[in-house]
Amino acid sequence: MTNSDRISPDENQSQEQKLQSMISALWERSRHTVVERAARLRTAGDLLSDNRLDRATQQSAVDSAHKLAGVLGTFGLPRGTDLAREAEVLFGQPTPPGKVEIERLQVLLAELTTLIDRGPLGPG
Amino acid sequence: MTHRILIIDDEDDIRQVAAMSLETVAGWDVVLANSGKQGIERASSEQPDAILLDVMMPEMDGPTTLLKLKANGSTSHIPVLLLTAKVQGPDQRKFAEMGVKAILFKPFDPLTLARQISAALGWKEGG
Repeated sequence: MTNSDRISPDENQSQEQKLQSMISALWERSRHTVVERAARLRTAGDLLSDNRLDRATQQSAVDSAHKLAGVLGTFGLPRGTDLAREAEVLFGQPTPPGKVEIERLQVLLAELTTLIDRGPLGPG
Repeated sequence: MTHRILIIDDEDDIRQVAAMSLETVAGWDVVLANSGKQGIERASSEQPDAILLDVMMPEMDGPTTLLKLKANGSTSHIPVLLLTAKVQGPDQRKFAEMGVKAILFKPFDPLTLARQISAALGWKEGG
């Protein structure tokens, strides 16, 4: 039997609020890691624009985007996951992206940064 | 009944959110490991009811960890669920052939993670 089998709806709601509160606190502790990863993506994006992106930095950007995609939605930022996934695909292309794709990357990284700065809005 | 779940993930955030979720919502016991190597050791010593295993990890990735768990007599019986941020890919059939019970996707909803695990494993309960 789990907690939800033996507690009332009010207690369930309280349980949800408790979990949301714990996750919000964890977001605050983890924010610096997320901000660092987003900064890594912007740096890689700038290097790509200048046609100076080396293989190691490209792979680091793919990894950072992948990690962000996995974690942002869990923290209540599903749009952040979508943007990070798109960045992962654009950075991970075997052939260098074209001008349109690079411009798209810059736009989505700017939106991603804004989203992370704002943070999850929380329950309700 | 309280289940014991081993979470193997190199991402500190993911481990912590998943642990909070399973402990708070479902009341399960959670054991954590931050690498495939540590996960294999914990699986053997803690004998969890199920393992939630990240796919992309440095050094020893999820599929390699899975193969080692399945090859070890003390852990081969433990059901493994993969946790991945990859949405697509031909890997899913390969994972199923390797004995994975289910593939769960990141990001996950902390409020329903226990329910997803229960459904995948045929457990009646699950938060």
